[in-house]
Amino acid sequence: MPLAAGEKQDSRLTGNDSTDLALFVRTTGEDITGWDRQRIVDALLRETLVDRGTAERISLEIEETVKKGAIRTITGPLIREMVNSKLLELGLEDARRMHTRLGVPLYDVEQLLVQHNKENANVPHGPEATNLTLAEGIKKEYALLKVFTDDVADAHLKGDLHLHDLGFIDRPYCSGQSLEYIKKFGLNLPHALSMAAPARHADVLLAHMVKFAAALQSHFAGAIGWDAVNLFYAPYLEELSDREVRQLAQMMIYEFSQQAVARGGQAIFSDINIYWEVPKHFENVPAIGPGGEYTGKTYGEYEKQAQRFAWALFEIYREGDAAGRPFFFPKPLVHITEKFFRTEGHEEFLELICAVAAEKGNTYFVFDRGDTAKISECCRLSFKLEESDLEDAREPWKMRYSALQNITVNLPRIAYRAKGDDTRLFALLTEQMELAVKGHEQKRRFIEKLLNMGENGPLSMLAMKLDGQTYLRMHRVSHLIGMTGLNEMVKAHTGEELHESDEAMKFGLKVIAHMNIVCNRLGEDTGLKLVLEQTPAESTAYRFAKLDLAHYPDQAREMLQGNLEAGEVYYTNSTLYNVGAPMGPITRVEREGLFHPLIEAGSITHVWLGEHQPDAKALADFVVKTFRFTNNDQIAFSPEFTSCIDCGRTARGLTDTCTFCGSDHVDGITRITGYFTRISSWNKGKLGELKDRYRNRFGD
Amino acid sequence: MLKGFIETSFVDWPGRSCAVVFTGGCNFRCPFCHNHPLVTRPHDMDDIDLDAVISRLERLKRWLGGICVTGGEPTLHRDLPVILSRLRKTGLAVKLDTNGTNPDLLRELIGQGLVDMIDMDVKAQLDAERYAAAAGVDVDIGVVRQSISLISGSSLPHRFRMTVVPGMHDREDIIRWKDCLPPGSELKLQNFRPGETLDPSFAALTPFTDSEFAALEEIIRS
Repeated sequence: MPLAAGEKQDSRLTGNDSTDLALFVRTTGEDITGWDRQRIVDALLRETLVDRGTAERISLEIEETVKKGAIRTITGPLIREMVNSKLLELGLEDARRMHTRLGVPLYDVEQLLVQHNKENANVPHGPEATNLTLAEGIKKEYALLKVFTDDVADAHLKGDLHLHDLGFIDRPYCSGQSLEYIKKFGLNLPHALSMAAPARHADVLLAHMVKFAAALQSHFAGAIGWDAVNLFYAPYLEELSDREVRQLAQMMIYEFSQQAVARGGQAIFSDINIYWEVPKHFENVPAIGPGGEYTGKTYGEYEKQAQRFAWALFEIYREGDAAGRPFFFPKPLVHITEKFFRTEGHEEFLELICAVAAEKGNTYFVFDRGDTAKISECCRLSFKLEESDLEDAREPWKMRYSALQNITVNLPRIAYRAKGDDTRLFALLTEQMELAVKGHEQKRRFIEKLLNMGENGPLSMLAMKLDGQTYLRMHRVSHLIGMTGLNEMVKAHTGEELHESDEAMKFGLKVIAHMNIVCNRLGEDTGLKLVLEQTPAESTAYRFAKLDLAHYPDQAREMLQGNLEAGEVYYTNSTLYNVGAPMGPITRVEREGLFHPLIEAGSITHVWLGEHQPDAKALADFVVKTFRFTNNDQIAFSPEFTSCIDCGRTARGLTDTCTFCGSDHVDGITRITGYFTRISSWNKGKLGELKDRYRNRFGD
Repeated sequence: MLKGFIETSFVDWPGRSCAVVFTGGCNFRCPFCHNHPLVTRPHDMDDIDLDAVISRLERLKRWLGGICVTGGEPTLHRDLPVILSRLRKTGLAVKLDTNGTNPDLLRELIGQGLVDMIDMDVKAQLDAERYAAAAGVDVDIGVVRQSISLISGSSLPHRFRMTVVPGMHDREDIIRWKDCLPPGSELKLQNFRPGETLDPSFAALTPFTDSEFAALEEIIRS
């Protein structure tokens, strides 16, 4: 316990210290105390497995050194470093590891406070962001030392694998849920300052939704996705005029797009799933309405209200923000299903969401073919609903999904190591995936430990049991295995990129099919729900590229994309084709779509639009044909904008100066991976990629 | 003579996604032109084989609502009817973009049923001086008039288009431009875009803002 200033003086004067050294020790508890050798002994006994005799000996030796050094002020961290070096001299490596201190050098902190961290373009620059980065830094070190075994941690550090969101080691990765939980239980969170009963009004429900999303953001590392938002809102809308529905839609979008005041100054990475039809699995489900009461109707009877809200949301997206820019969040994911095409008004709605795609880019078109039903956490991660989920759908508040962690395999490196040998390449791939699964088991154990501490533990919110089971349903969580740089792996192994020949493409498919099989087999072996994911790789594509340049320079130099001299290097994301390949949207959705059935957690093809504003009907036609003619899981169209900071106007296309006022105080806006951001916040790898993106236009 | 091909465009045919075929060479020198390598240096660009284009179109055709043939100026090529006829054999509709300086060829194309839609760029009001400023060369206005009446008199869907450039066109110009054109025809304005323009002095010119442009479009609609 830290001493108060007065006591501190007294304890020194009364001679309680074990030595008579006139030393002040600045402790980590923001305190200054006198020198006390005993503290070293206590720490060693508490934190490591060394015996008392060794601990005493070390403390005496340190005391000796300190005396000789004639140091006037010594700090706690310095003493720890000295003890650690002693432990090393004695060959006590394990003890040193247990006794080590996690933290950040002074120099780094200073850099951090001043310079922008670009690992995640959704984190702005500011004091909250610095807090986030510092905390993440320490938790990352902790994870690599304590949560994961050395082989897994080393694989991450060397760049064989990427363990995503290590700085959020004490949280699951992402969360998908519906409004039903808060509609039924109100906002009733453990240890909250107040408890709110279920909302009676649409605007209060929105307030609950936003606060619950923020609470979820502080318990999950990544995306927070909401299922069938427009449908679950519907029972609250019957009394509202069109104008009021529109107002509500506007409030929802602004609330989520302006939440950059929460954790790390970071907007909640939020996604809303939208249906024009009432999904089959909700048709006969009793609807919950104001006050958390059943309304006496089923959701099937709320189709018109749900459509009214969906329409209003897209009208707001179409307008953009006050400067005409696209809203970055919440990302709207529209599910296109067979039933969509049988639902009245779908042509007009499709044209509206295509107009939004053409003008602002927001819309994600999620294709649920056949009887597939999905809930999307974000554009890259969806859960296909199983039989048991469809059971749960009758009580939709139970439908809570999470991926505990994502681990990405560095594919190009496997090709470098295989040196052209097929057998070796597949063996190495299997080996890396086994290691990834080991990592998943370790994180799972850690989360389980925290969760089992129940309502007084750190994950009390995820342990709450308002409906009888813990909020985080461990029996339904999945574990993601992602991939980065398939294109460069194939190039390194076969000499050609995916788009360059059918043989290259066939080999790429073989690799992903192998990953799919290994994933299923390891899932059966371990009892974990393991699924393949197309890693968005916002920073992983850059990190792997840089690490390969360091560890496999000769091969990497030939394979990397981007500009080596500018340091803007990257691998192509997941299973995507070279972003610069001169390839039209049809060929891209067809060819990239061939991978999609092999990747369970969902995939996407991006159509980069550049500055030309497409015709909404032409896009609608393309969307319908993509649904009908391909296996592509999802598409999004990405326009580019230049937003002027001086005159506040926004123009299409990326330019160095404002088209309207000529100012060079501008920022570009487009999709980085799965979301829109300002280009000034991008890392160098993604900047390299942006320059390479093929924008489907000749003659510009 | 084919210098470029893109398999899907969402901007070249209203309501449809279409393939686009670019022909080389142009008799205009519009200072704001964005396709100017096709205009001024077509010989520096490789020719694209029509057979290759057609075999790609065969593969893609279930996706496409048509083929847009643009340039440069397609009607400079005497063998255009042959090319269009081969393109139409794929079963896809064909839209022609033209500046209307070759009414004889247009008559032939329309007469033989080789085009399904025509977009004609009418660069300015029909006044020799104004037209020359927009097209960058002297233009025989009589020929342009002939094309306008030929196209509007046909039963084909068509539009008359104009790129509006600040400093070159104002409200009055647009009213006069509109008055030159037949009342039943669809008119379309396109906002000037700065950047890689044929005349570098246009490169940094400021386009109309969204609201200014919307006001000009209002004139066309009224």
